[in-house]
Amino acid sequence: MSAPELLRLLADGGVHSGERLAEHLQVSRTAVWKSIERLRSHGIGVQAQARAGYRLAAPVELLDAARIGRDISAGRKAALAQLQLHFEVESTNTLLLEGEHPPPGSAFACAAELQTQGRGRRGRPWINAFGEGLALSMSWSFAETPKDLSALSLAVGVGVARAARRFGAQHVGLKWPNDIWFRDKKIGGILIEMRSEAGGPAFVVIGVGMNLDPSPEALRVIQSTGVSAAGLVQACAVKPSRNALAGAIIDELLGVLRKFAARGFAPFRDEWLGLDALRHRPVNVLLGAEKLSGTAAGIDEDGGLLLDIGGTLRKFVSGEASLRIQADA
Amino acid sequence: MDIRKVKKLIELLEESGIAELEISEGEESVRISRYPRGGTTVQAAPMMQMSAPAAAPALPATSTSSAPLSAKHDHTVASPMVGTYYSAASPGAKAFVELGTEIKVGQVLCIIEAMKMMNQIESEKSGRVTAILAKNGDPVEFGQPLFIIE
Repeated sequence: MSAPELLRLLADGGVHSGERLAEHLQVSRTAVWKSIERLRSHGIGVQAQARAGYRLAAPVELLDAARIGRDISAGRKAALAQLQLHFEVESTNTLLLEGEHPPPGSAFACAAELQTQGRGRRGRPWINAFGEGLALSMSWSFAETPKDLSALSLAVGVGVARAARRFGAQHVGLKWPNDIWFRDKKIGGILIEMRSEAGGPAFVVIGVGMNLDPSPEALRVIQSTGVSAAGLVQACAVKPSRNALAGAIIDELLGVLRKFAARGFAPFRDEWLGLDALRHRPVNVLLGAEKLSGTAAGIDEDGGLLLDIGGTLRKFVSGEASLRIQADA
Repeated sequence: MDIRKVKKLIELLEESGIAELEISEGEESVRISRYPRGGTTVQAAPMMQMSAPAAAPALPATSTSSAPLSAKHDHTVASPMVGTYYSAASPGAKAFVELGTEIKVGQVLCIIEAMKMMNQIESEKSGRVTAILAKNGDPVEFGQPLFIIE
């Protein structure tokens, strides 16, 4: 018996007796208990109630391929060659990066309930507590490396913002190049890893991490890494379903990838500028050991960040941009 | 170092538009640098600053000793994009390759990052890394030579 099967039985949040669980899964009570321990070791809150049984601290919506598929339009679904759902992986990006490449014009997608080594940029951890967010990756092959491929990073941000807005999300913006923000707090991050040959094909893996409804405890952990975070639920009137959100992101990214392969970044630039969370605001850019301060002035044709430093525009294709918080008392 | 090799390196430098090139081979090393001639546009882009030259002979090229070196085929790996060069997957991790590393086709040599896209640069050739032309965290230009594989 596997812990994921047990989790599926517990997902509704109701109380399930050890006896019934054992019977249902055709295993011993001891095996059930071992699986409960395994779930707990993953930070999944399984409560034991004397004489009654086990229950999850809160019901959870587990990933479900059929429900994800419902939010992907028929036209785009044809381009989704594979959808893998996992209980636990090192990282969804690593899995796709090390796997087969999809044929040009189609995508593989992969999502997991738990990531043991969820990553952000430069090896920073991506923290996502069980059931409170989404860890999703998509891989895509370009037959020919597009000239402005770096700007795919920004186009993907536009795609994820579009997905968020399908759930009525308000005040969602993008921090250059593609952090998803709700009122200056990070609700989503994107990590794109790729292999390409100059003048040849390119293989791209897009990882999207979303905070859907993070617990105060999860927010504290994220906060301790220096990131001010929030959940998508705060931007929406009604809490989005995890599966619907996964479907919406896959659907939007399929659209983005197809359009980008055909026309590059140009069709996304205006929409990106409309979502720009830094524009006209005081910003610091860390570039290696150098720290530059100025006013964000949008992006250029290639998606590079423009910073107005004392009347001179400087362009960045790399570096870490952050809002410069004015001294407040 | 074979004079033909040095000549080739100078040609490489001329074609690439970079300011300085340093090659180490065993115990020998040679550094070739040039300065922009009058009227040359040094792009005002922030990415352009080059690392300060260490104490080394400048212009045009000096070689420390002669060694039997052949006309072996050297392969230059150039950056496919503008961005930041990373020698390892994450800070503190082991570098993908070092001088003298024997590499295979498809092996990852470094990462070039632009707009947070991490581009793993793979080797198209197998061989030995005889020169690493960028330092971790360096801004690099499109077409800038990064490695020489022998």
